[in-house]
Amino acid sequence: MHRYIINRLLMLIPVLLGVVFIVFFIMDLAPGDPVYQVAGEQATQQELQELRVKMGLDGNIFTRYIRYIGNMLRGDLGVSYISKRSVMRTYMERLPNTLVLASVTMLVAILISIPLGIIAAIHQNSMKDTVSMILSLLGLSMPNFWLGLLLIMLFSLKLKWVPSGGIDGVKSIILPALTVGMGLAALMTRTTRSSMLDVIRQDYLRTARSKGVTEKKVINKHALKNALIPIITVFGIQFSNVLGGSVLAETVFSWPGVGRLVVDAINQRDIPMVTGALVMTTMLVSVVNLLVDIVYAYVDPRIKAQYTK
Amino acid sequence: MPANDLILDVKNLAIRYETEDGNVHAVNGVDLQLGYRKTLGLVGETGAGKTTTALSLLRLIPNPPGVVECERMMVAGNDMLRLPIDKLEEIRGNDISMIFQDPMTALNPVFTVGEQIAESLEIHERLSKADAYEKAMQMLETVGISRSRGAEYPHQFSGGMKQRVVIAIALACNPKLLIADEPTTALDVTIQAQVLALMKALKNKYDTSMIIITHDLGIVAEVCDEVAVMYAGRIIEKGSLEEIFNETLHPYTEGLFNSLPNINDRMSKLRPIPGLMPDPTNLPVGCTFAPRCGYASAACLERQPRLTLMSGTHYVSCMAYDDPGFAINRRKQ
Amino acid sequence: MNNTEAGSGQYAKRSAFKAMWKQLQKNKGAMIGLVIIGVIVVVAVVSQFAFDYERDIIAQNVANKLQHPSLEHPFGTDALGRDVLGRVAYGARYSLAIGVVSVLIALVVGVVLGAAAGYIGGRFEDVVMRITDIFSAIPSVLLAIAIVSSLGKSTFNLMVAVGVASAPSFVRVARASVLTVRGEEYIESARAIGMHDWKIVLVHILPNCLSQIIVQTTLRVASAIISAASLSFLGLGVPAPAPEWGSMLSEGRAYIRDYNYLMIFPGVAIMLTVLSFNLIGDGLRDALDPKLKR
Repeated sequence: MHRYIINRLLMLIPVLLGVVFIVFFIMDLAPGDPVYQVAGEQATQQELQELRVKMGLDGNIFTRYIRYIGNMLRGDLGVSYISKRSVMRTYMERLPNTLVLASVTMLVAILISIPLGIIAAIHQNSMKDTVSMILSLLGLSMPNFWLGLLLIMLFSLKLKWVPSGGIDGVKSIILPALTVGMGLAALMTRTTRSSMLDVIRQDYLRTARSKGVTEKKVINKHALKNALIPIITVFGIQFSNVLGGSVLAETVFSWPGVGRLVVDAINQRDIPMVTGALVMTTMLVSVVNLLVDIVYAYVDPRIKAQYTK
Repeated sequence: MPANDLILDVKNLAIRYETEDGNVHAVNGVDLQLGYRKTLGLVGETGAGKTTTALSLLRLIPNPPGVVECERMMVAGNDMLRLPIDKLEEIRGNDISMIFQDPMTALNPVFTVGEQIAESLEIHERLSKADAYEKAMQMLETVGISRSRGAEYPHQFSGGMKQRVVIAIALACNPKLLIADEPTTALDVTIQAQVLALMKALKNKYDTSMIIITHDLGIVAEVCDEVAVMYAGRIIEKGSLEEIFNETLHPYTEGLFNSLPNINDRMSKLRPIPGLMPDPTNLPVGCTFAPRCGYASAACLERQPRLTLMSGTHYVSCMAYDDPGFAINRRKQ
Repeated sequence: MNNTEAGSGQYAKRSAFKAMWKQLQKNKGAMIGLVIIGVIVVVAVVSQFAFDYERDIIAQNVANKLQHPSLEHPFGTDALGRDVLGRVAYGARYSLAIGVVSVLIALVVGVVLGAAAGYIGGRFEDVVMRITDIFSAIPSVLLAIAIVSSLGKSTFNLMVAVGVASAPSFVRVARASVLTVRGEEYIESARAIGMHDWKIVLVHILPNCLSQIIVQTTLRVASAIISAASLSFLGLGVPAPAPEWGSMLSEGRAYIRDYNYLMIFPGVAIMLTVLSFNLIGDGLRDALDPKLKR
């Protein structure tokens, strides 16, 4: 098992190197020379060249890439063009906000989707099933930011229950978490349902019933543990969507997380910040996916056996 | 008339599955009786309604789509038709248990075999987790698996070993009635004999009554006291093992014997029963076997024959016996 | 020889589609989806003729601003006095075009790379799949944002960005489909009679994964429309003053308190469009894989 984890970590390295390169490459396509942006209009040619070296912008894309990787290994992602602060530090300041939002979001999504998916599956083709499938289809078809705006209109402008944005106490997380969580729940309800439907007709559930296991336990213990295996995978993949999707929720709700950091940095053409934030977020997502795979192996003994061999 | 010396007393059991494409009449008026410590063989080809009958004895027919109608269903003194679900759960695995046909799919892949055996002990004998597990290990040894393998998962076992685990689960709480649904069909021939011997030994050890569902007459001859032959959801002949094997009455039962290879006469050809079982969504009015029956007359197509006592405990459902002089070919030899 | 080969392939394809269409017709959701899509397409086409872009869609009329829905302006007017109904109707063209074109980009890139990777195998496959892994490691919204911000805001760049972000899933589907049929004997026999590789892929392999890819395409159009609207909402999509639904929501946001109709209509339009593609995609998937319906 340890070897499996180490292997997976090693496999992550080329992917991350590739990610950095792609982000680097994309940002390099951007028009305009950041040196002018920083130095201002009246800088001399000499000043520009000095600044270029100082900012680490001399050399071709490969030299800069290698240099960036080297700095990254020391935890240095460069300095923001705008605030002149360390990208790493700024990112780390914002990260907890995003992580809190993402965790609460996942919780909301799980609390909605697992029970709903199970109910839909065990009452397949009934009214309950149809209603939850329609709801999840609607949720899936609603752009997240629009759902957020609707929730603001209802719960903060009309009912005045919760603030419409900012980060101020527990109440302020309710709307953003509901917004992203409901969208996510829509997808995960469908996953849970179909996974449960696959399991629910398995012979081993009949075996469990024939042993005298109560129906509740047949579903919640015997069926769910099997159904969870594909569900966990999808949840893991969704975590990356939460982090990606948080860009929108954070914008709609003025939530000071890394998503808004990226959008603000893009609008200000703050390339080191954009690059750094993208690299860090991707790294985070990859690590989460790795954790999910480990949990997956823990839940499914067939996979665990495969790796311990 | 319900009798107390019977572990199983079923009267007029009918089961249908209501599907979009019409009602599937899986079981159509079955009576079954079985004495304590006896073994009944339920014989018939695939689709005859054997498994459905067995599942209904544990009230495990899923509804929808299954609908069970029955006049009387007493199992080990319990009125299975009137018990609420929580009482049924107490009986399942405790008074009655079942060994399923396919050991490959009957075990839950995400629990260890030890946990799966211990579970019924936890439920029915109110044992603590540790005690239940310990007893499960003993059970595992009883079926011939070393206790060290109790912590392993089903995928680590071979088919025959899995079936032993399934047997261990079924026997964990010493059920009064054990239903074994084709317990050896999915296994290799050599393993079949082992599993069968094991079941026989355990049945004697625990004084269990047993219903064996099979299409293999060899297994019936080896372990059964009584035999009921099913065809298209009905019992068409039943009696003691000797009666069925030596004094075969029904043309279908004869057909079953004829389709067995004869080891003494290797030159003889197999004589399979021609045709197929009728579509259970659309059963014929008359005798369900008549379309395939070599002895059938016009009357057979018009009316459903009744199960009639012929001699001793031997029942048959065939109109040809309205003629006292009738005999099937097998009896003539 | 080749003619009969291609002919029988054609026949199999057609009857498979027929069977799929027959299954699809039984699916109420998919039929509803088709109807909605039909209506939206008609609206998109009609609005082209019914409105003059310069005069009716983008011309500002401040005297007329922020009027609540009325008979004259059923969806009201926005902060610059433009008729919201006209803008929503005209906006259908953007969402449909962006959704379809970006997925077509993803489809072509993804299927070509994926099919080639699956068919050729070896080193080439490794490289393609690693690159796919890298692209899918970056959260797709962030990837699209980065691409748009780097290429500059324009409708076409938005299409490219969303297309690139959805390409990895096509690579995977195409490769997996090719892998499942690659080992089949009829491929071997096609090779034995001397068929060219590209012809084998085109005639024998792709038709077999076509249904999978069609399902994937339909569902992807749905998510591409959402991504495009999201990017526009962030100000990274179709530039103003074009009536793209996402940017209309973004512009209307300032008036959310008192003029919430500005939030409703473009949002409903996005939802209906996405919903209909999802319905059709689900219907197609069920038609191909009846297992889930049971």
